Amino acid sequence: MNERILDADVGIVGAGPGGMAAAVELARAGLRVLVLDEGARPGGQIFRQLPAGAAGGKIAEPPSHHHGHALLQQFGAGAITVRSQAVVWNAQPGRLWFEQEGASWLLRCQRIVLAPGAYDRCIPFPGWTLPGVITAGAAQVMVRGFGIRPGQRALVAGTGPLLLPTVTALLAAGVRVVAALEAAPRLAALKALPGVFGNGARLREAFWYARQLLQRGVRLQWSSAMFACEGDGVVRRAVIGKVDRHGRPRRETARTVDVDVVCAGFGLVPSIELGQLLGCAIARTDVRGGWCVTVDEVQRTSVPSVLAVGEICGIGGGEVAMAEGRLAASAVLADLRGGEVPAALRARVRSERKAADAMLRAFPPLPGLYELADAPTIVCRCEDVPLAKVREAAELHGRDARGIKMGCRAGMGPCQARICGPSLQAMACGDGRVPMDAPVVQVPVKAVSVGTMLAAPPG
Amino acid sequence: MTDTADIVVIGGGIIGCSVVYHLATLLPRDTRIVLLDRGPIAGGTSGSCMGHLMVTPDTPQDYAFSATSVRLWQQLHEQVGGFEHNPTGALYLADAAEDLELMPILKRQFEANGDRCDVLDGKQLQDLEPGLAADLPGALYYPGDGVVLPMFACGALLRGARAASPNVVIRPGTGVTGFDIQGGRVAGVRTAAGVIQTRRCVNAAGVWSPELGTMAGLPRLPIYPRAGNLAITAHHTTPVRTQLLEISYLRFAHGAATVDPTKTDEDPGGHAVNLQPQSNGSCLIGSTRQFRGMDRTLNPELLHRSLLRAQRYAPGLAAAPIVRTWVGLRPYSLDKHPLIGPWPHLDGMWIAAGHEGLGISLAPITGLLLAQQMAGVATAVDHTPYLPGRIL
Repeated sequence: MNERILDADVGIVGAGPGGMAAAVELARAGLRVLVLDEGARPGGQIFRQLPAGAAGGKIAEPPSHHHGHALLQQFGAGAITVRSQAVVWNAQPGRLWFEQEGASWLLRCQRIVLAPGAYDRCIPFPGWTLPGVITAGAAQVMVRGFGIRPGQRALVAGTGPLLLPTVTALLAAGVRVVAALEAAPRLAALKALPGVFGNGARLREAFWYARQLLQRGVRLQWSSAMFACEGDGVVRRAVIGKVDRHGRPRRETARTVDVDVVCAGFGLVPSIELGQLLGCAIARTDVRGGWCVTVDEVQRTSVPSVLAVGEICGIGGGEVAMAEGRLAASAVLADLRGGEVPAALRARVRSERKAADAMLRAFPPLPGLYELADAPTIVCRCEDVPLAKVREAAELHGRDARGIKMGCRAGMGPCQARICGPSLQAMACGDGRVPMDAPVVQVPVKAVSVGTMLAAPPG
Repeated sequence: MTDTADIVVIGGGIIGCSVVYHLATLLPRDTRIVLLDRGPIAGGTSGSCMGHLMVTPDTPQDYAFSATSVRLWQQLHEQVGGFEHNPTGALYLADAAEDLELMPILKRQFEANGDRCDVLDGKQLQDLEPGLAADLPGALYYPGDGVVLPMFACGALLRGARAASPNVVIRPGTGVTGFDIQGGRVAGVRTAAGVIQTRRCVNAAGVWSPELGTMAGLPRLPIYPRAGNLAITAHHTTPVRTQLLEISYLRFAHGAATVDPTKTDEDPGGHAVNLQPQSNGSCLIGSTRQFRGMDRTLNPELLHRSLLRAQRYAPGLAAAPIVRTWVGLRPYSLDKHPLIGPWPHLDGMWIAAGHEGLGISLAPITGLLLAQQMAGVATAVDHTPYLPGRIL
C-alpha cells in the first residue's frame, strides 16, 4: 500500500466559492470530500483571506461578501479535508495527481468537481513588463491576500466589472488612485443596468462601489486606457488617453500621469486546462472570456464522473460559482444515491448566469486594445518574443496558434501560453477577427519536477 | 481558382523546407516553386523533435551521407543564418559494463572513416560534465555532432529560399486533396483552395507521405510512424552542457529496429535516454521509440522510463520542473534508409521522406540530392542507395 494515495468519494479542485459551496453540500450529505487548492488558505480569488496576524487589517468589502464569510465558516466547520498549496498536474476520470510541499500524491475518487477559477486576461502594451505594472488580480492578491500596499500612486486601467473592486481594494489599502480608466464607452454602464436591476444583490453591490468611489473622489473615466508605461527600471509614468468604441487608442489625446504602480485589468480567462486534460468538451463563448468547459443543466461535463463549476464554465463571478457549486453537489448526490436535483437550484444558476452575462455583455472584448502594443512590445514574456517577431512568424509559418508558436516560440515557455495565448492570434494577425484556436494541453498541466513525476503513485 | 507552378513541394517540415531551399538556389530564378502544408510550417514532426545533428558511422555510406549533411548545416548557418546552431558534440554514455563494450566499436567506426572521437574514463567525464552522476564508468565524446532548433531552421531555410528566388510561394494551411494525372504523369495538385497545374511535384510529407501517395493512386509507401515521447524542463535548469545519449541507443535506434512496423499493436516500445541542453537553459529529454500508428497521445509508461534514466545520468534533473511533454512521430522507412528521388510508377512525382529520427541531421543533403536530381546535374554524394525504386 502506498501511503501517498488518498481516497475520497468526491475530489474537488479549487477552494474558491464554487469548490467550497460544492464541498459544504457534499460533506453535509455525508460524502467523503477532499479539496485540493493551490492557495495557502481557502477562499479563492474572491473571498481571499489574509494570513493570521498579517498587517493591513480588514479591507472594506461589498455587501455580497457576507455570503463568502458564511461559506468560509461552513467550509471550515464541515467534515471536509483540504489540501492547501496543492498543485494538480495530471488527471484522469477518478484520479487526480498533485504535488504538495514537494511530495507527489494521488487522489482516487468516484467523482471530480472542477472549480479551478480563472486567470487575468493580459493585453500587452508598451512598458507592460516594467516592474510596478501588475494585473488587477495581482493587486487584489497583494492587498487582500498579503496585506501589502503595491505602491503609493496607482493607475487602474482596463475594462470590465472587476476594475471597481481593484480600485476599492487599493483605496482601502491607503493607495492613492491617480486615475481609473475604463476602455468601454459610458454606454456600457447603461447596458449593464438590466442585469443589475434584475438582481437585488448586484444592485446593492453596484451602489456600494459607486459610493466608495464617490467618497474617495475617484471618478471612473470612460473610453480611456493606458497607452504605455515608462520608467527607468520601474514604472514612473503612464501615458493615458481616449480610445474609440473598438478600444483603438486615439493617440492625439495622450497625456502623462506620474504613478508608481499600474494595475491592468482586462477581465478574466477561464482556467480550462484540467478539463481539457480529462477530455471534457470545450466551446468558445466570447462574452464569458473565451474557451469554456461545456456543462449540461446540472454542471456535468461531457466526461461521465467529471463536473465543473464557476469560471471554468465561463466567467460569471462568485455568486454564479456558489450557485453552480451547490447544483453540482446536488447532481453528484442524485447520481450516487438516487433522487432528483431540486428545480430551485437549477433556477438559481440560470438567474445568476443571466445577471452575470448581462453584465459581461455590457463590456464586450475590445479588439482595438490589441493595437496598444507596438513592434518591440514583448508579447510572450516567458520567451521574450516581441510583437514584430510574432507577426513575422504568423506570416511565414501560418496564422494558427501552432504556426505562431513554431515561428517564434511564443507560448512555449513555463506559462504554456496561459498569459499570451488568448491574445496571440489576434495580435499576430492584426485585425482581432481571426479565430482563436483552442489551447493545447499536455501533462503536466502545471510545471512540476521530474522527481514529482517519477514519484507519482500509479493510478 | 487555378494556379500554376513548375514544382509543387508538399510538406512544410524540415525536408520540404530544405528541398525548397535547394531548388530555389539551384534552378533558374524564374522557376515557380510552391510549398504546401496542410498545417503550419514546422507544425508536424519537425516541430516536435530534438534537433540533434548526428553523424552515423555504421557504414562508410552512412558516414559520408550524414557527415556531409552535418557539415552542410554549418554552411547553412553561416550563409543563411537566422537559426540556432550549436556545435556541442555528443557524449555517448555508458552505464553498465555491457555498454562499455559498445564504446570501442563506435570509436573504431568513426576512426575507420578518418574521423576522431575520445574515450573518457569516469574522472574525465566528471571534469567535462560535473552534473553527471559520479559513478558513471565513462563515455565516448564525438566532437562532430551539433544541435539546431528545427522549427527555426525550417523558417530560416524558407527565408533563404525567398532571398534566392522571387518565385517561391509558401502556403501553410493548404491541404492537398488529390492529384490530376494525365497521360501517366502528374498534371496538377488539387487543394481546398483550388488546383495548381504543375508537371512536377515532391512528396515530402514525412509520416503523412503514404496518405499522399494513395491519393495519387499509387501503392502504399513503406513509411511508418515511430512515436517518441519527449519532455522539456524549465529555463536555466539543465544540469549538462553537452548533448548526450545512452550508448545503448545504438542497439535500437535507426537501423536497429527489431519490430515489424506494420504490426502497431505488438511493439512494447524501447527507450534510451537522450539529453539535449537548449540555448535558454532548458533540457530536452528523449527518447523513446514505438510503432503504434498515428496515435500522438503520450505513453506515460515509456516517458516514465525515459525520465528515470535521465535522472540516473543527471541526478540534478530530479529538481528540474517539467514544462511540457509531447509525442512526435518519426517517419521510419521499411529498409531503414530515406527515399530520395523519382517515384518509379508515376512521371513527375518525386519523393523525399522516410528519415526516421535523422530528418533534421539529413535535411540539407536530402534537399541538395533531390534538387540536383531534378535539375539533372551531378550529385554531391552517391545518391543511388537512396533512390525510391529500390523498395517501391
